[in-house]
Amino acid sequence: MTTMTLTCVFLPFIAAFISAIIKNEKVRNVVVILSTTASFVLSVVISQGQAQTISLSSLNFNIGGFNSVYAIIAAFMWFAASLLSPQYFNGHHKLSRYYFFFLFTMGATLGVFLSADLMTTFIFFEIMSFTSYMWVVQEETKEAMDAGKTYLAIAVLGGMVALMGLFLLYNITGTLMISELYSAVTSAGKSTKLYVAAFCLLFGFGAKAGMFPLHIWLPKAHPVAPAPASALLSGVLTKTGVFGILVVTGQILRDDEIWGYTLLALATITMVLGAVIAVFSNNLKRTLACSSLSQIGFILVGVSMITLLGEENALAANGTFLYMINHSIVKLVLFLGAGAIYLGAHTLDLNKLKGYGRNKPVIMITFLIGACSLAGIPGFMGYLSKTLVHEAIVEYAHLSHLPIITVVEWLFLFSGGLTAAYMMKLFVAIFIEKPTENTPKGKKLSPLSAIALIISAVAIPVIGVCTSLVEKITYPMLSLVEGHHFHHEIHYFSFTNLKGVLISLTIGILVYILFIRKVLIKDKTYVNPMENKISLENQVYVPAIKIISAVVGVICRLFADSTDFLVFIARKSVLTDAKEHTERKRKYAYALGDVLDHFKHDKTHKNANLFVRVSETISKTTQSISSNFSFALFMTCLGVCIILVFLIISFK
Amino acid sequence: MNSLFLAVPIFLPIILGALLFLIPAEKKKQRNAFTMFTILCSSVSVWLLALNTPQESLVLLNFTDNLSFVLKLDGAGKIFSCLSATLWPLTALYAFEYMSHEKNLPMFYAFFTMAFGATMGIAMASNILTMYLFYELLTLFTIPLVMHGLTKKHNFAARKYMTYSIGGAAFAFAGVAFLIVNDANNFVFGGHIDSPSDPTIALILFVFAFLGFGVKAAVFPFHSWLPTASVAPTPVTALLHAVAVVKAGAFAIIRLIYYSYGTDFVKGTWAQNLVMALAMFTIFYGSMTALRQKHFKRRLAYSTISNLSYIVFAATLMTEAGLIAAFCHLLFHSVIKIGAFFSAGAVLHKTEREYVHELEGIGRKMPLTFIFFTISALSLTGIPPFCGFISKWFIATASIETQNPLAVAGVVVLLISAFLTAMYMLSPAIKAFFKRSDNTNDVENVKEANALMQIPMGICAVLCIVTGIMATPVIEIIKGVLGI
Repeated sequence: MTTMTLTCVFLPFIAAFISAIIKNEKVRNVVVILSTTASFVLSVVISQGQAQTISLSSLNFNIGGFNSVYAIIAAFMWFAASLLSPQYFNGHHKLSRYYFFFLFTMGATLGVFLSADLMTTFIFFEIMSFTSYMWVVQEETKEAMDAGKTYLAIAVLGGMVALMGLFLLYNITGTLMISELYSAVTSAGKSTKLYVAAFCLLFGFGAKAGMFPLHIWLPKAHPVAPAPASALLSGVLTKTGVFGILVVTGQILRDDEIWGYTLLALATITMVLGAVIAVFSNNLKRTLACSSLSQIGFILVGVSMITLLGEENALAANGTFLYMINHSIVKLVLFLGAGAIYLGAHTLDLNKLKGYGRNKPVIMITFLIGACSLAGIPGFMGYLSKTLVHEAIVEYAHLSHLPIITVVEWLFLFSGGLTAAYMMKLFVAIFIEKPTENTPKGKKLSPLSAIALIISAVAIPVIGVCTSLVEKITYPMLSLVEGHHFHHEIHYFSFTNLKGVLISLTIGILVYILFIRKVLIKDKTYVNPMENKISLENQVYVPAIKIISAVVGVICRLFADSTDFLVFIARKSVLTDAKEHTERKRKYAYALGDVLDHFKHDKTHKNANLFVRVSETISKTTQSISSNFSFALFMTCLGVCIILVFLIISFK
Repeated sequence: MNSLFLAVPIFLPIILGALLFLIPAEKKKQRNAFTMFTILCSSVSVWLLALNTPQESLVLLNFTDNLSFVLKLDGAGKIFSCLSATLWPLTALYAFEYMSHEKNLPMFYAFFTMAFGATMGIAMASNILTMYLFYELLTLFTIPLVMHGLTKKHNFAARKYMTYSIGGAAFAFAGVAFLIVNDANNFVFGGHIDSPSDPTIALILFVFAFLGFGVKAAVFPFHSWLPTASVAPTPVTALLHAVAVVKAGAFAIIRLIYYSYGTDFVKGTWAQNLVMALAMFTIFYGSMTALRQKHFKRRLAYSTISNLSYIVFAATLMTEAGLIAAFCHLLFHSVIKIGAFFSAGAVLHKTEREYVHELEGIGRKMPLTFIFFTISALSLTGIPPFCGFISKWFIATASIETQNPLAVAGVVVLLISAFLTAMYMLSPAIKAFFKRSDNTNDVENVKEANALMQIPMGICAVLCIVTGIMATPVIEIIKGVLGI
């Protein structure tokens, strides 16, 4: 089991190097697909064994529970993405680089999900952050480089702050093993330091998850990456951030109200904000990226409910885990679908894609499945998860009697409505509207790509219909947050549960008809009145950083030059340079040379001139030695030596 | 091993280095061979000494009973001498290629070799007087190296270097004299000064000595010689201004704090807070200024300023964990920074491009050089699993353990600096690998550096990774050698 787990994590790393060596494109594709398949199979096999911790030097891995489930999902998503890659990248450049980082990130991500202590998590988390940067800049366009800059900045910042949190946490608890954290924290007691540590971790992991206000990289980076990479960025990499937040929720600040409310507030903002910008967006992948932002908000609302509900968290915990899985798979399907569209159309602009998908049944059906699940339509997995989280909010509103929770509930439903609206916008534009003369013809999907789409989508309706599967999937994951089993059977399709989705869908349809069709479509083209108008990054962060760095820079310069200034003052006052006497010396030298010239027969080389030159050099050199500040320093040095000799003598 | 062997790594390079002047300027091969032979012999002798240390000390010159020039190799000295002994041959190898088109080579190699002896002297000094002697000697040996180009710019840099170094040493002398008067001449772990007659004077002199030795360690406000001195040839900036000279400053500070004054006396006083605050400010200042530099090597020089203060900051924590962290960063930063300078030098040598914005697209033509540079960059930022992460981890945990509020604030400074490090180190790497389409920078004729330069770079990069992954044994060795 130990070897298998380690192979599962390290195989992609090794495969990355192998794929980088291979020059032949076809062979490389086979190697990449084989290695992702192998890792996927291994992750399934190890999940069948009993839960245990495996150590390799200072790295600790855990199998079983949440770790195994998410390792399987991650490996599966890489497998699916690798199936689409050959056709998507046909004719692209710099593929060996792409595949190298594709596999490298896979190993790192599996490492994050299988990690048993936060140190291991952090190590793989950082590797993942940096290698996935290469996905973002793969296309090397201006937008990609710009997005890459933001991505890297936030990733580094988040990593550093998370590290600070780990330092503090380690100082408090003396351990970073996830399974030992809770007892260590309980025995240490709650302190300000613990909160600081926890919020540092929230900052770090939240940055990766795309939580407000650190979300700025997400809508920029996800659309510019190649589609298979965007699927993974959206579907898996954001979940590593959620994983970290779950660890804090379950093992560090369990049932803590401050934590719960902070998380709830940030999550709600993320949820609404993402949905609103997704409605405005006209770019297929940007809409999906903003949707990811919003969906992360939904998931984090669920996480905050786990904390707030405490003992009663059965609905929240199961709902959150199911939501995470749903979002991973749905985003895989949708981004792969977007990739399938892009490889034929070479554009992501909705206005140019009008009716592009009308005669492409595989893309259309899988896209529809993803859209329905995201919108929470009954019969799809998304409905189940959304219902569970919604019921958890209702339950907490009921228990706490706080009116604000009811507001959150309405915002939840409203965002759900917006989700339905923007997915409808995408679906109608691409698959239903009549093609214009600008719409490209498109390319036939290769069988491999079609398989990728179909196997990704198949789980969504299956779980959506067979509701008994939910418990089988989520129960093993509960131990991470100390979640509880359902007290009674959940009737997913009862009227109370359906009511929420009906409200949501009604909002969605109203938004679509009244807002998108009326306001956002002008002369049959989709317009975005908000484009480049509001940007937290350009209007707040960048100016703030510029101002701070300018001010600090000036202060630093003032301090820095102070010593040089003192030296300058010293040279001009106490230690002034001596006067020159070259003129007189030159005269003597010339006279001497002239005298010597009289005794020489060969008159071509005059000694007089030579002597003058030599004398000038000598006087210049002596001057530069004796008449300046350095000489004074040598004198100081000499003085020091004399003191030393004095000391020695006086000791005798 | 006989204690007489202690003199070998010090005097062998100094004497043979002086003999290098005798080899005629045009006999390039012979000179290179002789230099390499001398340096290798000395390095091997250092390693032999480290593995088989003589117990007795070697008295070179005895003035009085308690004032003498004495050599002894203890744990701290072992770490510093082995580090220098490992990196010196690598740099020599690099220099053979890099310096091949330069003038005044006999002088360069002679002083380059002699500086090795002086550095070994600092590492092996058994009392503060001996260390002071070699410390000054190192300054004198390295001035010609900075001045190598012999233009106005180089002369100015050398003069500034000399001004600061000698001035600083004079500053430190006050502290040295105090220690000698108080019978605290010999280095003993734990120090000597327990209850001096006048604690205030003792502390003031401690701060003086700290600032004096801090000049070489480029602690604010005596840092500005280092970026100016980056006009020196790359092997010099790489080895002397990232490893030997500046680390000698940091090493002297460690000696001062842990082996002369002792932590018990200084810990918790205003003096500790003052020096710690200076180190913290330098960390921030160095990174901040590095970010604003356009000149590639000067940017690395500012980065060195920042990172040296990591070591000094760890040392000023005045705990055993702090000492381990300081030595850990001393080792790792040397390997990282020398690698980074080698890469910058390779670019300079092959293309004569000095500025960061000129690097655009160059990574395509010099892939290995920039892969090595990227490894150094990531390592310096402190990204796991590279070695820089390990030392930063130890510095941060050590400072949180002290419970001193200033030290905890230091961790925040450390992290801000790490963020800035990522920005200033990764931007050249990114620029090199990704060329913007609207850029007209011509990289057609750029060629990859040759093997003599790549081997040292590659070794440094591999060391970054290996020591990062195998951190536990490295830390155990440091602990064992220091006897903690």
